[in-house]
Amino acid sequence: MTGRGLLAGVCLILSGLAAGCVTPTQPAEFFQLTPESPRNKAMQTRFFETKDEAELLSASAAVLQDLGFQVEESVQDVGFLRATKERSAREYGQDIGRFFAFLLSFGKFIMPVDLHQKIAATLVARPINPEGTRQEVRIMFYRVVWKGDGQADRQYIPPGQQKMEMLRDPVMYQQFFAKLSKAVFLEAFTL
Amino acid sequence: MSHTMRAISGMIVIAGAWFLQGCAAPEPSQDLLAPTEAQMKLRSFQSRTFDVKDRQLAMRGVIAVLQDLGFIIERANEPLGLVTAARFAEPNFYDVLGVTVTVRQQQEGRMLIRANAIYNNKPIEDPKVYQNFFAALERSLFIAKE
Repeated sequence: MTGRGLLAGVCLILSGLAAGCVTPTQPAEFFQLTPESPRNKAMQTRFFETKDEAELLSASAAVLQDLGFQVEESVQDVGFLRATKERSAREYGQDIGRFFAFLLSFGKFIMPVDLHQKIAATLVARPINPEGTRQEVRIMFYRVVWKGDGQADRQYIPPGQQKMEMLRDPVMYQQFFAKLSKAVFLEAFTL
Repeated sequence: MSHTMRAISGMIVIAGAWFLQGCAAPEPSQDLLAPTEAQMKLRSFQSRTFDVKDRQLAMRGVIAVLQDLGFIIERANEPLGLVTAARFAEPNFYDVLGVTVTVRQQQEGRMLIRANAIYNNKPIEDPKVYQNFFAALERSLFIAKE
């Protein structure tokens, strides 16, 4: 009787282990357009009435430089640029939150706060009609944030925890395209 | 007495032989690098041909559709027809989905496009994923042609 109980227990543990090994659901939906896709596209895209794709690309690089980015990758044949900049990610709000968390937990909890961030932009320029008189520029911003260290009771939380996010603030994109249209002396059209 | 001894020594010899066999490195089989049926199947649903005039046009279509799908273009190499992109599995930012697409001219006006997708560094082997990607690509290339 005990033997059978033991066997059942072992089976249960084994099946539990096996369940832990099962891979998460395959992300088929990540290759599908979502309801937000057209909105994001409209925000990230502008059109320019010009034939000169190279000029548009080099002006884009110049604007990114003005904004403090370093160009890391460029492929002229497909009109591609990737640029990054690193900045501090300290925010007063988080420091205040950290202070109150520290007080309310009687000094037991020191919340890790955002310390450093890397902001990146990828930009693609391409002609959208066969004659090549109209160009599309699409830029996407995203960032990686690194947290500092902290402590929860006696457990030390090491620094370097990462968080990544797409940046979807329309103002950011408007500012970039305003600068770009000034740089190429052309008006930027939306769809 | 001697009978038992002989039996024991026999057992030891057998056990020793068994141990020795366990130590021998397994011989690699002849077909270690030969393509398996699963690999062939994977390749067939990771690739598709499209009627596109030139490779650069096809590459630009691939880049545009990846951007539409929310991917960040990381690298592109025009001479090799290579595009590498990634995205976070939003809304969760810890899982990363990566994809490499190659565009090769099969014959005049026909491009072979192959996509390899990985999810948290594990290859995706679900045909549905690639079907979705190629459906989106087809739409994008068709719009570009008009």
